[in-house]
Amino acid sequence: MILDLLSYGAFFLTMALSYAVICLGLNVQWGQTGLFNVGVAGFVAVGAYTSALLTTPFIADRIGGFGLPIVIGWLGGGLVAGLLSAALGFITLRLRSDYLAIATFGAAVMIQLVLLNLLGFTGGPFGIGFIPRPFGDLAENTDLFSYANLAVMAALVSVTYLVLEHLVRSPWGRVLRAIREDETAARGLGKNPEAYRLQAFAIGGFVMGLGGAAQAHFIGFIAPDNYLPTLTFQVWTMLIIGGSGNMRGAILGGVLVWGIWAVSGNVVSQFFPASEQARASSLQIVLIGIALCVVLLFRPRGILGENATVSRHIKARKKPATGSASLSTRT
Amino acid sequence: MRSEILKLQGLVSGYQPDLPIIQGVDLSVGEGELVVMLGPNGAGKSTLVKTIAGLVPVHSGRVFLAGADLTDVPTHRKMRQGLGFVPQTENIFATMSIRENLQLAAQVLPKAHRAARIDAMLAMFPDLAARQSTRSGALSGGQRQMLACARALIVEPQILILDEPSAGLSPKMVSEVFEQLVRINASGVTTILVEQNVKAGLQIASRGVILVEGRVAHDAPADGLLGDPVVSELYLGGHKKEEVTA
Amino acid sequence: MITQAIMDGLINGGIIGLGAIGVTLTYSILRFANFGHGELLSWGAYVALSLSAALGALLPSLSTPIGPFSFGWSVPIALIGSMILTALLALTVDWLLFGRLRRSGSAIIILVMASFGAALALRNLLEFIYTSKPAYFTNALQISKPLFGGMRATPDQLLVLGLAVVTVVLVHLLLTRTPAGRAMRAVSENAQLAALTGIDVRNVIRLVWILGAALAAVAGVMSGLLVQIRPTMGLDLLLPLFAASILGGIGSVPGAMLAGLIVGLAEALTVQVIGAEWRAAVAFVILVAVLLLRPNGLFGKAPA
Repeated sequence: MILDLLSYGAFFLTMALSYAVICLGLNVQWGQTGLFNVGVAGFVAVGAYTSALLTTPFIADRIGGFGLPIVIGWLGGGLVAGLLSAALGFITLRLRSDYLAIATFGAAVMIQLVLLNLLGFTGGPFGIGFIPRPFGDLAENTDLFSYANLAVMAALVSVTYLVLEHLVRSPWGRVLRAIREDETAARGLGKNPEAYRLQAFAIGGFVMGLGGAAQAHFIGFIAPDNYLPTLTFQVWTMLIIGGSGNMRGAILGGVLVWGIWAVSGNVVSQFFPASEQARASSLQIVLIGIALCVVLLFRPRGILGENATVSRHIKARKKPATGSASLSTRT
Repeated sequence: MRSEILKLQGLVSGYQPDLPIIQGVDLSVGEGELVVMLGPNGAGKSTLVKTIAGLVPVHSGRVFLAGADLTDVPTHRKMRQGLGFVPQTENIFATMSIRENLQLAAQVLPKAHRAARIDAMLAMFPDLAARQSTRSGALSGGQRQMLACARALIVEPQILILDEPSAGLSPKMVSEVFEQLVRINASGVTTILVEQNVKAGLQIASRGVILVEGRVAHDAPADGLLGDPVVSELYLGGHKKEEVTA
Repeated sequence: MITQAIMDGLINGGIIGLGAIGVTLTYSILRFANFGHGELLSWGAYVALSLSAALGALLPSLSTPIGPFSFGWSVPIALIGSMILTALLALTVDWLLFGRLRRSGSAIIILVMASFGAALALRNLLEFIYTSKPAYFTNALQISKPLFGGMRATPDQLLVLGLAVVTVVLVHLLLTRTPAGRAMRAVSENAQLAALTGIDVRNVIRLVWILGAALAAVAGVMSGLLVQIRPTMGLDLLLPLFAASILGGIGSVPGAMLAGLIVGLAEALTVQVIGAEWRAAVAFVILVAVLLLRPNGLFGKAPA
């Protein structure tokens, strides 16, 4: 009994930690660089599918199936997602921030469409199955299997966290911070803000792809339906609640919100008969949507976020914009 | 005895709540005066007039217009109560024609008066009347300034405040604009202008107020100030070169 | 066959254009991309559906199709009611959410984020109330009548097209000939100067929400009439709406309609030439092209 509970706990935590990885990637884009990516689900999908295609055994009527080791799959997934982010960023980063939001939203729609339609490439609506699991040979001993997977995921989160923290404190990270505080001054010192933002966007995309790949290998099966705007929304809620701008906040948010999602899903479904479960999950999303708006209204820095982040990204810039560019706070 | 049109009482204001730029200003402007506000860069001249207009938050103190307390009144209602303000930049709607700019400004008036006031402004500024349908973005700097004044005057304000009306204009345009301002003031409109162009400003004004670091450092009739060496010491310093010979 | 695609494209484009007008107005005056605009469309359609059904239940004669059209008087009456209620919805969301964020000095991107959250909540609320099963205004089938050049269209489709044209003209007149419209254009160009000119910017904001929501309700009803009503209908139109308003130039009403027609035509031609499953990609391609080549769009002003 206890063992079952622990096993379930391990499963739950592993899933939560996979979201934490994705959230860390989003934090690089938003918390460190102030970029609003509304297409998170797309980049996660790209990482997952790339890894799946690289590591699954051969299947007729579909490319891929190279049967490569899992590590290659994960790195490949991250790489392709990172490259795609770089391409999209190159087109849109020099535009205003909400244009980036619209463009990334469109990119996710586009990616979804490609996943659905190119059957010979992605398996279409049927998705890809038989994705190799880490420690797959332990599969019969479910408890050990769960713990092993948890260990792998925890290791991934730790490594990602350490690498990103190191990056943030490195000279590169310092330049990024300088660009945020005073872009004109940074430019005067010879630093190119666009290049740094692009790099941050690509690195964030890489981590998101990595998270997607890890998630895919944990579940063992992926389909286009796993990567809808709801996923983007989940990850954003995790980051905002956990505390944007803060790597630990990203991890906390991932675990906490995944827990809230799972628990609220359970609770809400108790109120509905079996035939109305679809309604129950709609209500759950409504409640979480409202929760996000409430957090944005009353505590935009989240749990671990610092006030500095708030003034950096969340409040309008200090120097009053001219009349044309802003509605006064009196409206 | 002139009636008091504008009164500032212990005014403290600034964009940030913890960073006041205006550090306590008391001022009283009587009906019909033409006051020029001078001071070194960063003294807060623009900020002061923007505070009066409601564009900069007041930390403490009060603003009275003809006895009415306007401090907490929202900007658009301040305008309707008789405060006309011409900002330094972006003071006309460039995408609209001259006529539309005036129509827009006249919208706060009762319907019956609108046409008459628009015609009055076109009569006052024949240069604008000649090209009413032109998109105002295509106008010259001087013409824009005229339109900006017309826009503010159309509602017959009790006081007209201008933020650096000569900025960016050629010397010839500056004299034209200033001539117009004198005419406007002569017709009974109390006027305050913020000016970097010390000599030109003092030549048309009845009174000069010098602001230094957010406080009134000197307040005296204009003709006295023109030659006063103390004034030059007070703030011009190396800025004497900036005086433009009209 | 191409001519039929053109017909379909124009009709669909008219709907996109109507929605895009609402987006371009709210975008230019409120200065943020509202990801919830699609939901105003969906709510408009569903509210009209419920009102129409209620009216039909009370007075069965209202459900009898009018002339050659597929719907009875219950639908136009319900449309008016829906425009009012959808406007109220928009005003409520602004009062609860966007207005507060504006007053607390939040950056634009936070408003966009909040709109994304609000959109999700509104969409799923619809799904909760109505389920995701597609719904229809009427069960009456329509036969398409032949026009010229080998094109065919149903009476409903022609009505929608005509209504779209009339609506654009009305909105354009509103903006250019009325004091309220002038005030909206002023706030769109320079909100601070508008206040200095005596315009109550808060009033203008309310007006923009009402206008944008009403137009969205009309577009939603049109789409529901010609295609179907489902909770994701607004989300599916969101990318074409954004693409059209950016292509047309933010703030330009004629631009939004023209761009809407362009997007509609491009989608119809893509369906014809490449295949229906790639329809949703068209808006994205147009969007990227505009952002790369001419971010101001066809008639837009310089970005704020």
